[in-house]
Amino acid sequence: MALLEIKNVNVRYIMKDKKVHACQHVSLEIEEQDSIGIVGESGSGKSTLASAILRLLPKRITQVDGEILYNGRDLLKLSQEEMNALRWTDLATVFQKSMSALSPVHKVGSQMEDVYRVHFPNADKAEIRKRVYQLFEIVNLSDRVYELYPHELSGGMMQRVSIALALLHNPKLLVLDEATTALDVVTQSQILREIMNLEQNMNLTRIMITHDVSVVASTCKKVAVMYAGRMMESGETRDVLVNPQHPYTQGLLKSFPSFKGEKNDLRGIPGSLPDLSQEIPGCVFADRCPYTTERCRTEEPMLRSVNGKSNWKVACHRVGGGE
Amino acid sequence: MKRYIGKRALSGLLIVILSVCFNFTLIRLAPGDPIRIMAGTDNPNEEMIETLQKKYGLDKSIPEQFVMFLGQVAQGDLGYSYISDESVVTLISDKIGPTLALSLTSVTLAVTFGTILGIYAARKNGSWFDRFVCGISYVFDATPGFWLGLMMILIFASTLKWFPTSGMVNLRANYTGFARFLDICRHLVLPVATQVLVQTPYYFRIARSSVLQVMSEDFITTFRATGMKESRIFNKYVLRNAIMPTITVLGMSLAHLLSGSVLIETVFAWPGMGRLMYNSISKRDYPVLTGIYLVTSVVICIAMILVDILYGFIDPRIRYD
Repeated sequence: MALLEIKNVNVRYIMKDKKVHACQHVSLEIEEQDSIGIVGESGSGKSTLASAILRLLPKRITQVDGEILYNGRDLLKLSQEEMNALRWTDLATVFQKSMSALSPVHKVGSQMEDVYRVHFPNADKAEIRKRVYQLFEIVNLSDRVYELYPHELSGGMMQRVSIALALLHNPKLLVLDEATTALDVVTQSQILREIMNLEQNMNLTRIMITHDVSVVASTCKKVAVMYAGRMMESGETRDVLVNPQHPYTQGLLKSFPSFKGEKNDLRGIPGSLPDLSQEIPGCVFADRCPYTTERCRTEEPMLRSVNGKSNWKVACHRVGGGE
Repeated sequence: MKRYIGKRALSGLLIVILSVCFNFTLIRLAPGDPIRIMAGTDNPNEEMIETLQKKYGLDKSIPEQFVMFLGQVAQGDLGYSYISDESVVTLISDKIGPTLALSLTSVTLAVTFGTILGIYAARKNGSWFDRFVCGISYVFDATPGFWLGLMMILIFASTLKWFPTSGMVNLRANYTGFARFLDICRHLVLPVATQVLVQTPYYFRIARSSVLQVMSEDFITTFRATGMKESRIFNKYVLRNAIMPTITVLGMSLAHLLSGSVLIETVFAWPGMGRLMYNSISKRDYPVLTGIYLVTSVVICIAMILVDILYGFIDPRIRYD
């Protein structure tokens, strides 16, 4: 059984006069010890999906339906207490803006202590300190960070603090929402390497939200490509990124330069995201796709397995299935 | 820290001297002449005016007068009122008590109510309570204090006769001790209520908006993601982060403790600094005015230094070294 099974999830942001469909019919399976990168351009719904999994969307203005099964339990149906019990012991996350991830007027250590006590209210200070020092060592931070305030640390250090914080209770599933995007490439690769080491030692499953395909290529076993709130293509990294099937994935990959090989033409995808507050009858990518046919505008393509692999799925009329 | 306080005290002293210098000059440059007010308007005797000017040193140039004034201050003497011939030090020390009683009570109550209501409204953002208090706060925010004071007198003093109309003590009854204290309290109710109603919306809005702003910060999401209880997040993290703006405006309002309630004191005939200042301005009573300016600027400087030190304790990002 998959560790996390996302089934037909829809997320809508409810505005005064319209509803924005931030995620539509998103389905994804994540096996234990997988590392999966969710990529897509800004506004493609990847962060919304992450927040939906963690149930961090503001209740008043969002509407989530579908099923998000974690070990067979639907996270969307859990009570607040049941959900809180899962948080941080099972599901942990690292956010993009690590500089503001902790309260600026409390010491790093005291905040980590507080988070530790969320699940172990009677833990004594020495025990917590020992655990935090241990984590600091793993993420390459010195012990003195415990007594410092967030503003006294650099961006890279705060990112490490955020990761240490996320690992506090040995979570099973770690969601990194653009967690290294704001860092310089050297620090980024250092931190990614640390995270990958951790995975082997700590039995961690990782979901990585990013718009940087190269990060996914070098650190994730699987990849899922999102566009305009829909899942376009998902599968193993070596399949999807080497031989992309969906026209959108192909376009996305052509938007990144490659180090090796000759200069192939680097180009973006012309056009921009469709208006997500409108119902789109056909394929969401139809307006920007070079291969659009009449069918693409009237019938929405469903995710289908391609090339005989059950975990390689593409949502395009051109690929797989009967044409 | 000690060095910081020393430095601030020194710059504070400079600011006090500068502001007194400005006020000293400005009031003397303004149209109007205390001697002519004293001598009366119809057919003043020029000879008498000259004698009076000499007597009060007003025949000298403003810089000369200022030097003389500084010499007096150095001896702890602020001069004598042109009108009543009383010593300015006595005049101010008589009035400072009533003013502080009125303004400290009002500010304390307004800050307490405003902040508590603001925090609670932000916690229940969008609720019936929030909308109700917001609406009321706009109404009182837009109400002029002196008008509200007059309405208070009309309703609670003249019509219902629950409280005295004006003054600080009942002059007919010669209360002493605790009875006098109670009498002052009874006189305090209406002016304090007026001040509180006018000032509370200010603190309410500051507290509410700053709590709302902190609640949308990223670190709140972090704590929610860890499964921390909402009450813990609020009581430990939101409040400490949201209190700074309230302290800032509190500091600014401390600056007005002595001079802020001129209109209210006038409406309620409260024997305080505000009324003293009002009367002195209208009669161009230079020594009294300069004395008031001196005392107010010292109080403002001290309040500002206190607030700055308080900042350092609450926000670790602010350090004075």
